[in-house]
Amino acid sequence: MHTTYARINNASAFLSSCAMALLAMIAVSSLLFTADPKGTLAIDNVQIYPGKGRRYVNKNHDFAFVHFNVTADLTPLFNWNTKQLFLYLQAEYEDAKGTKNEVVIWDRIVRTKDAANLAVQGRNKYAFRNVASTFKNVGPANYSLRYSVMPYVGLLTYGEAARTADVIPFPSKREGVA
Amino acid sequence: MFADELKSLRRLGVRHVLLQVLNFASVLTTGLMIWKGLGLVCNTESPIVVVLSGSMEPAFYRGDLLFLTNPASERYHTGDITVYKIPGADIPIVHRVMETHDTVSKKSGHVTASPLGQRQLILTKGDNNPVDDIELYQGLEWLERKHIVGKVRGFLPYVGYVTIAMNDFPQLKYALLGGLGLLALVQRE
Repeated sequence: MHTTYARINNASAFLSSCAMALLAMIAVSSLLFTADPKGTLAIDNVQIYPGKGRRYVNKNHDFAFVHFNVTADLTPLFNWNTKQLFLYLQAEYEDAKGTKNEVVIWDRIVRTKDAANLAVQGRNKYAFRNVASTFKNVGPANYSLRYSVMPYVGLLTYGEAARTADVIPFPSKREGVA
Repeated sequence: MFADELKSLRRLGVRHVLLQVLNFASVLTTGLMIWKGLGLVCNTESPIVVVLSGSMEPAFYRGDLLFLTNPASERYHTGDITVYKIPGADIPIVHRVMETHDTVSKKSGHVTASPLGQRQLILTKGDNNPVDDIELYQGLEWLERKHIVGKVRGFLPYVGYVTIAMNDFPQLKYALLGGLGLLALVQRE
């Protein structure tokens, strides 16, 4: 019974059960942190230009350019089990056919508490285009700033930090590039 | 070296060996049952996956373990991290949803009561990749529900590295399996 093999077996089994129990407790502990910080989001202007995209090289496509202004203090989301935040700005709109669209136009990965106090004035990072290739007859859009909290161990959680107060219509297309 | 083991094996007799084989088989089948049961509860073919590439860094690194669910009553949202498998590709990919387009069915005479009855077009991107995944879709324009294995719900770092090590060094796998089998046969009790 008291062979070296049995000892090693017992010790490693005990060690791994302890590690698993500790990890489980850490994962559960992050359910106790229920921070729900809010910020502000303003859309400064939206413009639409024709262009050719990566997806359909031979086809003309309309691209929307969205200038936005975000301020949000998301530091309360950082607790001992927060590895990073994935922040994303999304546009939500419905087109003439009734298709409901959600499109991420900007994102940022925040890895430290210091970087979580946000003041960004910028333009969309990803090409913003409609499935039907133009933004003609497309309903106005809501924009929202959302986050996904990535833990060191445990469950991924999501939330919304800001949302535009009013819907913002898409303007008509401009010709050429300004 | 194995003379002792062989001697003890001979002494214990056929009945004991058979019993040990049975034990071993029951351990294997229990494992399989738990895996398949979990799959049923989570509604996904593989409820636990190991990250194989660095395309989702710094969220996921190689060897991290992900727990998936795929509830039939939930649509996918932007920001969700999904595991998808393109027909023809052999490895599933873990990437984040960047665009969803919930289309409305054009078939006349059909009414869909729930938004889930309609096609949802999805575009994904790896956090660590500069561009979205269109090139990975092998000719498809959008992902759809049928391509998606599950949504990442839980995360456990590094633990899956064992399986990566076993894949990279198959000898390790055979040594481990062989060693376990031998121990199971030789052990008394």
